[in-house]
Amino acid sequence: MIEIKKTYKNYVGGKYVRSESGKTFTLSLKNDSFEVPLTSKKDIRDAVTASKKGFQNWSHISPYTKTQILYRLSEMIEGNKDSYIELLILGGSTRNQAKKDIETAIKNIVWYAGFADKWEQVAGNLNPVNGEYFNISHQNPIGVVFSLNADNNSLASLLNSILQPLTVGCSVISFSEESSIVALKFAEDINNSDFPDGSLNILSGQFENVYEDISKHVEINLVSINKEVPTEILTKIQENASNSVKRIIYMPSMDGISSVLPFLETKTVWHPKGT
Amino acid sequence: MVNWEYSESIESQDIVSIKDKYQNFVNGKFQQPNSKKYIDTISPSSEEFLSKIVISNEKDVDKAVESAQMGFEKWTNTTPYERSKYLFKLARLIQERSREFAVLESLDGGKPIKESRDFDLPQVAANFFYFAGWADKIDLSWGAKSLKPYGVVGQIIPWNFPLLMLAWKVAPALATGNTVVLKPAETTSLTALLFAELCEQAGIPDGVVNIITGDGTTGSLIVNHKDINKIAFTGSTQVGKLIQKSLAGRDVGLTLELGGKAANIVYEDAAIDQAVEGVVNGIFFNQGHVCCAGSRLLLQESIHDEFITKLEKRMQTLRVGNPLDKNTDIGAVNSKEQLNKIEELVNEGVSDGGKIFQTECELPGNGFWFKPTLFTDVQPSYSIAREEIFGPVLTTLTFRTPQEAIEIANNTEYGLSAGVWTEKGSKILWTADKLEAGVVWANTFNKFDPASPFGGYKESGFGREGGRHGLLSYLKAES
Repeated sequence: MIEIKKTYKNYVGGKYVRSESGKTFTLSLKNDSFEVPLTSKKDIRDAVTASKKGFQNWSHISPYTKTQILYRLSEMIEGNKDSYIELLILGGSTRNQAKKDIETAIKNIVWYAGFADKWEQVAGNLNPVNGEYFNISHQNPIGVVFSLNADNNSLASLLNSILQPLTVGCSVISFSEESSIVALKFAEDINNSDFPDGSLNILSGQFENVYEDISKHVEINLVSINKEVPTEILTKIQENASNSVKRIIYMPSMDGISSVLPFLETKTVWHPKGT
Repeated sequence: MVNWEYSESIESQDIVSIKDKYQNFVNGKFQQPNSKKYIDTISPSSEEFLSKIVISNEKDVDKAVESAQMGFEKWTNTTPYERSKYLFKLARLIQERSREFAVLESLDGGKPIKESRDFDLPQVAANFFYFAGWADKIDLSWGAKSLKPYGVVGQIIPWNFPLLMLAWKVAPALATGNTVVLKPAETTSLTALLFAELCEQAGIPDGVVNIITGDGTTGSLIVNHKDINKIAFTGSTQVGKLIQKSLAGRDVGLTLELGGKAANIVYEDAAIDQAVEGVVNGIFFNQGHVCCAGSRLLLQESIHDEFITKLEKRMQTLRVGNPLDKNTDIGAVNSKEQLNKIEELVNEGVSDGGKIFQTECELPGNGFWFKPTLFTDVQPSYSIAREEIFGPVLTTLTFRTPQEAIEIANNTEYGLSAGVWTEKGSKILWTADKLEAGVVWANTFNKFDPASPFGGYKESGFGREGGRHGLLSYLKAES
C-alpha cells in the first residue's frame, strides 16, 4: 500500500504557505526525505508584515491569558508526543533521546507559561529616587524577533530559541535549516493553540539566502542567533544591523531572568508626588 | 514699571587652578604621553585659552589598555567590600571639592554655574554613593550567578555633562568589578582630569581608572583595540552606529546612549502654568545640549494659542549670559562647531516655512551664544521637527486626539525620552504605556537620579545607565 506523505509548509500569519518562489530544498533524514519550502527574500518580507500585526495583538494580550495560551501549547505537544518521538528518531535520535527531548521541551514550555505573568515583577522595580517622585521601571517587549534555530533536530532546542521572546510579548519569526521538519511539524501545534495570527511564524530555508535581508530589515527589531555561524556572516549581520541600531544576540544565555532581558526595553516613568 | 534687572553675582574663579598643559592619567599617575599633538581647550563663553590637552595616539591607547588589564587583576583581587569603600571615598571627595569642580565645569563647558553647582555636581556625588553600595551586593541585583564583569571597559563620553557622564560611566563599571579607559570629549576634558587627581587622592589601585584625552581618532583607537572587552558610548546616533559597525564580528560588549528628539505632550486638561515651566526646563536646561531634551512640543490644538502666549512670555524672562553669573539661566553654546550646527538647522526651519520667535536679549560679544528660540507653524516633515538640534530650540506641533499625539510622538527613529502633561491619571498611564521611549516624565521633565535607569529605545541606543538595570550594562551573562 502506498504511504500518504505530509507536505510541510511554512507557517506565516496563522496560515500554511508555500514559498512564493515555488522553491523547495530536500531534507534527507535517516531513511526518508522531504521537500520543504526554500524561504525567499519576499517570504521574509511577508513574514515581517505578519509579525508586526502579530506583535500588536500578542503584546496586548494580558499576562494571565498569555500564560494559558502557552500552557495550552504544552497540552498540544503532550497529545502528539508519539509522533514527535518518531520524527526525532527519523532525524537520528535514539528513542530515549527523543523521549527526553520532548519532555524537556514540554517542561520548558510549562516553565515559561508560568513566567508570562511574573517576569515583570522580577525585571522591573520602583526606584528610590532622591525627591518626592514616584519612579518606576518596567518593560516593554522589543517587537519583532527573528530567531535562527539550531541544527540538531530537537524540539527542545527549537523552543529554547522561541519561548523567551514569546513569553514577554514579542512576535517571533523562527527560521530553521537542518531542523526544519521538527519546526514545521511544530507549526501544527501552534495552529491548534490560541496564538494570534502572526505572533509565531515558522520558516524553513537556507540562512545564507536571507541573512542580508533580515539584518537590513528595519522592522525586525532583534535578531537572535542560536547556532554557530561563520564569523564573516556574523560580521556582515552586525554591520548591517548598525544602520538601524538593531539588536543582535549570538548564542544567548538560557539562565533564568537573563534569558528574557535581551527581548525587553526598560521604560522608566516619573511622576511628582503631592504637587 | 518695576525694574526686574538683576545685579551681577559672579562666582569667583580663584578656587580652580588650571595647568598650562595636561598629561594622561594612566596606571595611577599622570604620565607624559607618546603623542606630541596637543590642542587648546578654551572657554566657550569668552573664547579665552584655558589649557592644552593631548590628542592621544595608538601608543597612548595601548598603554592605557595595558594598564587597565593589570588594574583588572588588582581590582578582581580587591574584595567587593573594599571596592565599595573606595567608591564611597570618591563620593565624599567629590562632595568636598564640589565647588571647585562646578566652577571648572562652567568655565570649560559654558553651562551656568547654577546648573553645574546645583545639578551636575550633586548628581555626580550621588552616582558614586549609589553605586558604591552595589559593589558588595551584585549577587543580589539580578539573582543570576552567571553575571560577571567584562574586564577592560572603554568609555567615550560627550561634552554636555562632562563630569556627570563620567560618573554615570565610571561608578557602575567599577562597582561591577571592571576597570576603565575613559576618554572625555575634546572640548571638555578638564573636570575629568581633575577627577583623576581625586582617584590618586582616594588611593584607587593603579590601573583601575585610566583617563586619556583626545578626539574622535583616539575614540576610534579605543573602540578598535584588540584587548578591549566592552565599549560604553554616549554621543550622537551617527557615531554610535559607526561604533556598532566597528565592533561587528568581535566578542566585545556594547552599550550606546545616543540621540533623541523627545516629544513633550501637553493635553488640554494639563495644569497649563506648570506645563509651561516644565516645557521651558525641558528644552532650555543646559542650553538644550541634552540628548533627552523635550525638543518637540506637542500641543493639543484647543490650547495652542494660550500656551504659546504664556510660553513666549516665560521665555522672555530667561537670562542668557556669563555662565559664572549665578543669575544666568542659559550659558554659552559649547563650541563654535555646535553653534554653526544650531544656526544651520534654525535657518533651515525658517526657510521651510516655520514661524520663529526668539527672545529679546543682548548676547555677549565674545563666545558662542544662541537666543532661546521657539518655532510654531511647523510641519512634521521639517528637519527642525525630525533632527536633533542639541541647542535651545523648541519646535511646536499640534494634535487633536490622544491617539494622534502618540502617533506623532513615536514617529521618529529616536526613542530616548518623552513628556506628558495632564491632570488625568488614567491618561498619563495610557500615554506612558504607548510611548516608545526609555524615560517618560509625567507632569515633570528632565529629572535624573542615580537610582533611576536611563537609556533609549530604537535608534537612541541600547543598555541602561543608573539603577539596578544600569548594572547590567557592565555585567555579561556567562553560559
